[in-house]
Amino acid sequence: MKNILKKPMIATALAMGLLGVVSGAEAQTKIDFYFPAGVQGPVARNMQELVSQFNESQDEIEVVAAYTGNYTQTKTKAQAAIAAGAPPALALMSANLTLELVLDEQIVSIEGLLEAENQDRDTFLSDFWPALHKNAIVNDTLYAIPFQNSTPLLYINAEHFREVGLDPENPPSTWDELLDAAQKLTQRDGDEVTRYGIVLPQSSSYLSWVFQAFVMANGGDFFNADTGAEVYFDSAETTDALTFYRALAYEHNVMPQSITDSKQVSTFFISGKASMMILSTGAMGFVRDNAPFDYQVGFVPGNVRNAVPIGGGSVVIFKGQEPEKLAAAWTFAKWLTDAPQLGFWSRATGYFAPRQSSYEIEEMQEFLAENPDASTAVQQLPYAQPWLATYKTIAVRTALEDELQQVIAGQKTVEEGLADAQAKAEEILQPYVDTLQ
Amino acid sequence: MNRKPHIFSMLAMTLLCVVAFLWAAPFLWMFVASIRPEGFGGLRMASIWPDFSPTLDNFALAFKSANFALYYFNTFLMAAGILLVQMVTIMLAGYAFARLEFPFKNTIFYAFLIQLMLVPPILIVPNLSTLVMLHLNDSLLGVMAPYFASAFGVFLMRQSFKSIPKDFEDAAIIDGCSWYQLIWYVLLPLSRPTLVAFAIVSVVFHWNEFLWPLMVITSPEKQVLTVGLASFTLGAEGASEWGLIAAGTVLVSAPLLIVFVAFQRQFVNSFVSSGIK
Repeated sequence: MKNILKKPMIATALAMGLLGVVSGAEAQTKIDFYFPAGVQGPVARNMQELVSQFNESQDEIEVVAAYTGNYTQTKTKAQAAIAAGAPPALALMSANLTLELVLDEQIVSIEGLLEAENQDRDTFLSDFWPALHKNAIVNDTLYAIPFQNSTPLLYINAEHFREVGLDPENPPSTWDELLDAAQKLTQRDGDEVTRYGIVLPQSSSYLSWVFQAFVMANGGDFFNADTGAEVYFDSAETTDALTFYRALAYEHNVMPQSITDSKQVSTFFISGKASMMILSTGAMGFVRDNAPFDYQVGFVPGNVRNAVPIGGGSVVIFKGQEPEKLAAAWTFAKWLTDAPQLGFWSRATGYFAPRQSSYEIEEMQEFLAENPDASTAVQQLPYAQPWLATYKTIAVRTALEDELQQVIAGQKTVEEGLADAQAKAEEILQPYVDTLQ
Repeated sequence: MNRKPHIFSMLAMTLLCVVAFLWAAPFLWMFVASIRPEGFGGLRMASIWPDFSPTLDNFALAFKSANFALYYFNTFLMAAGILLVQMVTIMLAGYAFARLEFPFKNTIFYAFLIQLMLVPPILIVPNLSTLVMLHLNDSLLGVMAPYFASAFGVFLMRQSFKSIPKDFEDAAIIDGCSWYQLIWYVLLPLSRPTLVAFAIVSVVFHWNEFLWPLMVITSPEKQVLTVGLASFTLGAEGASEWGLIAAGTVLVSAPLLIVFVAFQRQFVNSFVSSGIK
């Protein structure tokens, strides 16, 4: 008799464990927060730390922070969860996906939540760096709160600079200076290049991001940041930028003639096989810890102006949840994007803090004093502009990247590649353009 | 007289060694890189030649970055749970398709096989909806559920049962075996290589699976190894800490590698006799 009773009990206990049934106090509102990790290292751990700080600070809300892969996987998981009827409360999403999420009617307006508390959008936004505003606003309504942001940055090997008679305190600031420095820094053994002057990322989303910096530095617009319905991939500024990008590898032989991803780029630079690279400010922590040489950072060289695109992620809150969960999500979102938390996250990851007031905090000032390279990244912020964000951003971006790679690999001319990219992008955007008219 | 074959076998041996080295290079690199001191320079990082100052720092950092003990437990529970249920379902379904007669048997069997043509990602949303309905979302049981029936396994078992001469069964039935005794005492022992081969394929697949657990599991305490590994090695915006990536990969793949090395002979025999590659 005992045995018969015991077995089902064990089975029930096991099943409860497997099902994740939790008994006990249910007064708390439990909400899910999805976050991707854009930089390596114990980012997931840092996030758990931050979230448990919040959970311990009060009793009403319990936030479950779930690591959800990269930005694309986070979007997939959120969309699958929404389709399945179990949306997360909030998520950290790539900053350039806000428009799409709004068009798909998946996220709630932050502005509405602010208004309910008699807060004004512009006052709320005034503390955030101006460059971040456009990627968070759709149809003149605020839908996202910037959380972790980055820009491209020029990293140089100071020892190589001194060796060839260049001044590392003044990194190249124009395309002419960049090419000149790259030519001086490149070392050859006969026909073979033994050290490259510069190396740039040439795969996945990194390619279009860094390329956008070149186009904007050349005075171009890249896309219509107000509507997200137009791209300017075949403009004169874009054509010139790609011609310059490609010439670095093929005409001047100062950049590897291969499709290098961001991991290879940093490996080239850290190993001294390349003297300059352009990577995210998010890579700074890695360079700081691993470069066995003296390095410097500088603004991405401008041809006619200084300009870089913003990258990174923002907090968005999902539709379709019960009112108390929505309220809990909003409370947590406000806490998470408050100046001290953003400062902590910036120091832990290498992203810059989206709130200007984060930099007035003492810990942050000490950090900048110890790491002057981090302050260069902050000084570049006034020149930052919105990141490519359109209807179906990922498809549009991929269309451009595929063509860019073909041009860089020498399979298409610059004009052909960009014309094809423009045509493909317009085809993808057409349904959205139609709805606007 | 003996010389010529000797030279040939030496040549063949050398060639085999080269191929074996090429095959093993990624593993060797993984082990070497995992104990290489950090910041040793990217160039040396690519070398397969070990350094003279090995370090366990990368492993320490990996352990600091993720809760491996928990992930091992969850992954083991998931892979073993799936396998156990699969064993029962494929055995019974395989027997039905191989031996029993019922209407539309072949049509149903082919419908089963069509499952093999489906790419798993297209089933994410429908499967997830079912899980939400069953309240299995965010649970390990939810990760396992869609795999409980395996078209591949059913197909294998059916083929394996079919290749066993009917005489064995007739003899058993004459001796008074019921159908389940027949499966248990006669068919299964004769199909062991197939079962072992299927078990390997199943465990390796589920041990390494990333996307589906990522979709189902939300709570950190239910996370599995692959997702845990990605949480600190997949960052694309920063740069590459190859040592940390290598150490994490060693930790994730070690159990499977150890099991494989330990039972190598049995595994190879199973694959040879079951015809799976």
